[in-house]
Amino acid sequence: MIVSTRGLRKEYGSTVALRDVDLRVPVGSVYGLVGPNGAGKTTLLGILAGLRSATAGTIEINADRTRVAVLPDTPQFEPWLTGREVVDLARTLADPTIAESRVDEVLEQAGLADACRRTVAGYSRGMLQRLGVASTVVGDPVLLMLDEPSSALDPAGRREVLDLVARLRGEATVIFSSHILGDVQEVCDSVGILREGELLFQGRISDLLVGSAVPDYRLRLRPPIDAAISALGAAGWVRSVEPLSAEELRVSVDSVANAEKYLAGVLAATGVPIVSFGPAAATLEQVFLELTS
Amino acid sequence: MNLWRLEWLRLVRTKRWLALLGVYVFFGLVGPLSARYLGEIVERFGGGVEVVFPPAVPADGMAQFVSNASQLGLLVAVTVAAGSLAFDAKPEMGVFLRTRVDRVGDILLPRLTVSFLAVGAAFVLGALGAWYETAVLIGGLPVGGTFAGIGYGLLYLSFVVALVAAAASRADNVLGAVLITVVVLLAMPMIGIVGSIGRWLPAHLVGALSGIPAGERIGEYVPAAGVTVVAVGLCLWLAVRWSEAREL
Repeated sequence: MIVSTRGLRKEYGSTVALRDVDLRVPVGSVYGLVGPNGAGKTTLLGILAGLRSATAGTIEINADRTRVAVLPDTPQFEPWLTGREVVDLARTLADPTIAESRVDEVLEQAGLADACRRTVAGYSRGMLQRLGVASTVVGDPVLLMLDEPSSALDPAGRREVLDLVARLRGEATVIFSSHILGDVQEVCDSVGILREGELLFQGRISDLLVGSAVPDYRLRLRPPIDAAISALGAAGWVRSVEPLSAEELRVSVDSVANAEKYLAGVLAATGVPIVSFGPAAATLEQVFLELTS
Repeated sequence: MNLWRLEWLRLVRTKRWLALLGVYVFFGLVGPLSARYLGEIVERFGGGVEVVFPPAVPADGMAQFVSNASQLGLLVAVTVAAGSLAFDAKPEMGVFLRTRVDRVGDILLPRLTVSFLAVGAAFVLGALGAWYETAVLIGGLPVGGTFAGIGYGLLYLSFVVALVAAAASRADNVLGAVLITVVVLLAMPMIGIVGSIGRWLPAHLVGALSGIPAGERIGEYVPAAGVTVVAVGLCLWLAVRWSEAREL
């Protein structure tokens, strides 16, 4: 683990912001920290970044402090500096021995090569976000903490930031906080779900989606499909059959194993022509709502 | 680019150096002029009333400069220093710096140094301007005493910058840092009214540049200088301690 906490707790007066959080972030992962607004994501990242102190608990970060980088949700810089100067300052502070050519390299990756000689005062929100990412990666960090990096951006800006984060996979461990679950599902491989300061789940996203969601199958048949509905409804391993249209069904089953073993046979026995069928993939949003509701 | 160059660029690109230099040099040139021609000025704008002033002496030229520089000049100096030292005023900028240094002192040192050098340089240039014009218009000032007065003035300004740093580490924004500093600076002369406390307070040093050329002993300001050195140390210690304790 590159980051692990034990019993991490943060109180603001009588308000408990974090409740005994045991975070485990595997080395090399892109870890999504998700939760509704006020769940404690920013507080948790702030404590890990050393910007806030914990009320109780321990933190272990297995990385050199100079190789840990943090990006706030709405990065801001001195408006009279140029984009290049901002990134160069970040380089010098992280490690002055890093070649200056690295500055141009990350500015190019962030799509700011053309704008880097202009002062930051004229940058759009998306450009500031990309400049923030460039300043964060210029020091070749081994651990990055990105607080809601895409939440304030338009779709194009969001796409650019997500692509930048995706490119970091394999180069560094990334902790990525967001309440946009689609973003987390797209770029993260591990996830921690926070609600009211409590870590409800953490682990691989694939485990979360398989382990938490009720296995569903989606069937597309040639009408009439009544025979199929009756046969499936009578099967002991089927929990429910829900017609979605004249030719579509959602079938909830008690286990994936039973469905894989019996579903094709039951359908074949009815004689109803099959167009397609397969497991209905659960989304992180469905699982998140299941866990947090 | 490093934190020292960042402060230099802040001074140059935001034209803060111009504000500092402008206000101190302006008062440096205008102070002796108004001391020399005070009678004529009052007569011209006095509506025919004749006011008789004693002939101006060289110390009056410096006194006029000190009077103006210690008010408007000091306010500009405090504002410029606060703009630099309140580095958490925008938390996102604070995060950028704080997560990239080992100690908060690494951020504070260049800001304190450059702020003091800028304020000090403006004050010295203003004082030299006042000295020159006093010599031309009214008469010469004692060299040793004037330099001693400038030295005491610089010591006072170092206290002001350190005080701004301490205030900025508690305030949420630049305006808050300015207000806290101004309140403390205004409170000092009031406290000084009580008994002989005044000659021990940093604010006493403000008058050294006009007092010593007027005949006061250099040693008169030693107690205040000693207290100021201690106060500077205390303010810097508080600035570092409070900045480290601040949560973003």
